[in-house]
Amino acid sequence: MSFRFNQENTIKIASLLNRYPQKKALILPLLWLAQKQEGFISDAAMKNISEFLELPLMHVYSVASFYTMFRFAKNEKKVIEVCRTLSCELNGSEDIKKYIQSNYSDRFEIVEVECMGACSGAPMCTLEGKYFENVTPQKIDKVFNDN
Amino acid sequence: MITKIVSKNFEILNSHTMAVALENGRYASLENLFLQKPREIIDTISQSGLRGKGGGGAHAGSKWQLAADTQGTKYLVVNADESEPGTFKDRQILSKDPHLLIEGIICTCYAIGSHISYIYVRGEYEEFSDILQSAIDEAYEKNIIGSGAQYPLDITVHRGGGAYICGEKSALLESLEGNRGHPRLKPHTPQAESYFGEPALVNNVETIASVPFIVENGAEAYRAYGTEKSPGTLLFALSGHVEKPGVYEAEFGLGMWEYIHTLGGGVKNGKMLKAVIPGGASTPILPAHLVQEAKLDYESLKSLGTELGTGGMILLDEDASMVKALKNLLRFYHHESCGQCTPCREGTSWVDKTLDKFIAKTATTEDLKILKSVSKSMNGKTICVFAPAASGVINGFLKHFENEFLECIQ
Amino acid sequence: MRITIDDISIECEEGELLIDVMLNNNINIPHFCYHQDLGADGNCRMCMVEIKGAKRPQIACDTFVKENLEVITKSENINEVKRSILELELLNHPVDCPICDQAGECKLQDYYMDYGLYESHLTTPKTKKGKAIELGSNVMLDQERCVLCTRCTRFTSEITKTGELGIIGRGDSARVGVAPGHELNNPYAMNVVELCPVGALTSKDFRFKQRVWFLDTSKSICHGCSRGCNISIDYNETKYTREKIHRFRARRNARINQSFLCDYGRLSYKELNNSFKGTSSSIEDLKELLKEDKKLALASPSLSLEQLQAIQTLCQTHNIKLFCLAYYDESFGDGWLKTNDKSANLASVKKLGICTCQEEFDAALQEAELILNFDHTLLKHQEFGNKKSVQFTSTHLPPACGYCFGFANFAHDTGTLINCEGITQKFYATRFRDKNPSLSELLEQLR
Repeated sequence: MSFRFNQENTIKIASLLNRYPQKKALILPLLWLAQKQEGFISDAAMKNISEFLELPLMHVYSVASFYTMFRFAKNEKKVIEVCRTLSCELNGSEDIKKYIQSNYSDRFEIVEVECMGACSGAPMCTLEGKYFENVTPQKIDKVFNDN
Repeated sequence: MITKIVSKNFEILNSHTMAVALENGRYASLENLFLQKPREIIDTISQSGLRGKGGGGAHAGSKWQLAADTQGTKYLVVNADESEPGTFKDRQILSKDPHLLIEGIICTCYAIGSHISYIYVRGEYEEFSDILQSAIDEAYEKNIIGSGAQYPLDITVHRGGGAYICGEKSALLESLEGNRGHPRLKPHTPQAESYFGEPALVNNVETIASVPFIVENGAEAYRAYGTEKSPGTLLFALSGHVEKPGVYEAEFGLGMWEYIHTLGGGVKNGKMLKAVIPGGASTPILPAHLVQEAKLDYESLKSLGTELGTGGMILLDEDASMVKALKNLLRFYHHESCGQCTPCREGTSWVDKTLDKFIAKTATTEDLKILKSVSKSMNGKTICVFAPAASGVINGFLKHFENEFLECIQ
Repeated sequence: MRITIDDISIECEEGELLIDVMLNNNINIPHFCYHQDLGADGNCRMCMVEIKGAKRPQIACDTFVKENLEVITKSENINEVKRSILELELLNHPVDCPICDQAGECKLQDYYMDYGLYESHLTTPKTKKGKAIELGSNVMLDQERCVLCTRCTRFTSEITKTGELGIIGRGDSARVGVAPGHELNNPYAMNVVELCPVGALTSKDFRFKQRVWFLDTSKSICHGCSRGCNISIDYNETKYTREKIHRFRARRNARINQSFLCDYGRLSYKELNNSFKGTSSSIEDLKELLKEDKKLALASPSLSLEQLQAIQTLCQTHNIKLFCLAYYDESFGDGWLKTNDKSANLASVKKLGICTCQEEFDAALQEAELILNFDHTLLKHQEFGNKKSVQFTSTHLPPACGYCFGFANFAHDTGTLINCEGITQKFYATRFRDKNPSLSELLEQLR
């Protein structure tokens, strides 16, 4: 398995290079581009990034594993994230999570996450990164059935 | 009761676009900016008493001065890694008035002599950083920033990867350098932060967004709001058991109770208030009777044993379980500890696991002792304030609501 | 400049780290992450002390000394702080000392005994992590025993700059590891075992072979090349076996090897267990042989100054042409500890004026009728046809047609070496005598 950034991303990387005093700073931007391109961070992508940035592979892996938004395996299903932190919990996130789990776990991968910064819209969830706030079972049915 | 300085354009349709932003006064401060020397701008900021709005409340002027006085290539790093539970104010600026932030960045960079700025946006805010990026693109097109601008300046949006600790300024800089987000050891003397060894100024989004008003109207105009020691306004926010959750900008010094009832419409479903976490999850909880005394400024909340923090208030009603609430917060700290220092790495995990026993009502008096002793072990013994904050949270809950924990003991 | 530590006045220099001052003055200061040759990281929080005038306890590894600093390392308060940190370090530790190879030289165990944490308060399950992971280069990892001091990862990122090791994950699931499909692989890899203050990293070469409290230690110098790295030789003699060397450890010398050794040198201890086991020839025969004409001697450039002097005296007395050829290997040196000159003592050879010229040696070898080889690898296994030969050897040799004398290797001898930078250093014999005499004793008999 090998990995190469596609043409669009290669152009983006070229312009990003001018924005930072050292190449090393590009780890996060490159991890994001790799994840966008393949849907996850493959070992081959990390190897590519480590060679491009002239850093040990372990450094790239260690950095990537520090952040929770990077996935190291391909998701076959779309991802629903349900916020579980206090403001959401106080407004019924547990019930929402249970509702989604019992109705949508066959079609989506459901992940509980910490505060997404949408506390005024509690409870909230995301679908493929897009925020849905003040969710109710009805709203969930509408949004998820459209996807 | 609302005072709109930063949030002035939030309600305007398409306020994030250049055309609408220009119609509504954005970039107006630049004329005044370039008439003054950078040094004068820093003096104005110092005189305005502007304080960091990301939670710490440090005086912006002195931080700017340090960065300006340090030799080297200077960087302005805008902290948009808003991850403190109960805090969702910066995203309003990013999505509803990104041009205000850009304007603030121009003012700040001019003042400290920086031509390079990064906005570190938490990874989850992808939608909002896309809006911000379009605004930046528009500003480049109009030569408001970029090499062709009156003051040449590059602004780059840098997306985080999902780590609360990167909101801590030195961890943020580590992350921006391409490392794990581990906070750095504190310097022994006051000095500017450093980015790849060069001086860097790190300020919160709202702090930078407050700058254009001060540059345009002067320090006194800003001081007209708020209190002597906490001048100006803050994007206070309400969430949890509140009737009308949201962000409402107000001047410092208002009564907390009044703010909650006037702007937030009181406790949700007409219930009684049990407690308020005043400024994001990391500030010690205030029981209802103290909420009545509290004023929304740094000094008042400090005197009540808590902090103003980010000003993001979480309300808990009379039926809320304090055991569940503390468990919820410690699960968060356990999840977000960077793992560098022993007391934090092990302590957050231990308290989180021990609280499970309280939830299951299988706790013993020994477990209550563990909560107290581990909280003590976590306080004042780590590189950054993450563990001490978690410790303060535990202590706050136990101080005011120990009875609820005792009820969970077998 | 003077500071006070526990009411004792100590001389130090402005700008020194407090922990260095304490370590250099043998003041007990518990620590995991700080290492004098890796610097401070500040993560373990174990080296906390009270500083007069400071609100909170401070870590000694991030405190710079200044005039009249007053430090307290022993007080109920500071003991309580250390006890609490230690309790947290031990929280998810398996406490499996009876089966852990580090037992006896484990900092966690030492401090645990010092601070008396005999009772566990843990009422919740421990965090599970990986065990018996082969990292490569003889290094085994137990993630549950790790205190995440990051000495090993800092070693590979900052010292060898090979970067194989790193921390994976965060919070209490953070663990040391290598990248997927990769392993720890560099010529200095095994240093991480010694740097590890606990039983997380152990050596496949040493583990489960000896309990460290049954080992004796002698101060020695590695003979693997001309660097002269300072080592400790760990050895013992049991009821049923002769003395055996079990490992080399780096002995700190800030001027030469800091606290490090290359794996080649570290594993070269094995040769020391391969001493001459045969029966030495008769001294009287040797005396007869020395009456021959045209004699040549070749000495190993790794012999000690004292040994070389004894050989030189012998050669002068008996009119023997003496040579010494360097062990040179251009692929060995690396610009750090390893040098291309694999002779341990070539500087002494030069100091004594012994001829090192290959051409002259080759010519003399042609002519010689009697060849005396003092442990030089070039001639050790060589057949000399109708020439007579005498082998003086510190290693085992199969029975050959020539004469052979075993002598004690450097672990069993005391001597002097001069390294590639001209630094003169002594090494010392272990407690147990080899069955072979030392070379000097042997040559003494020829007088």
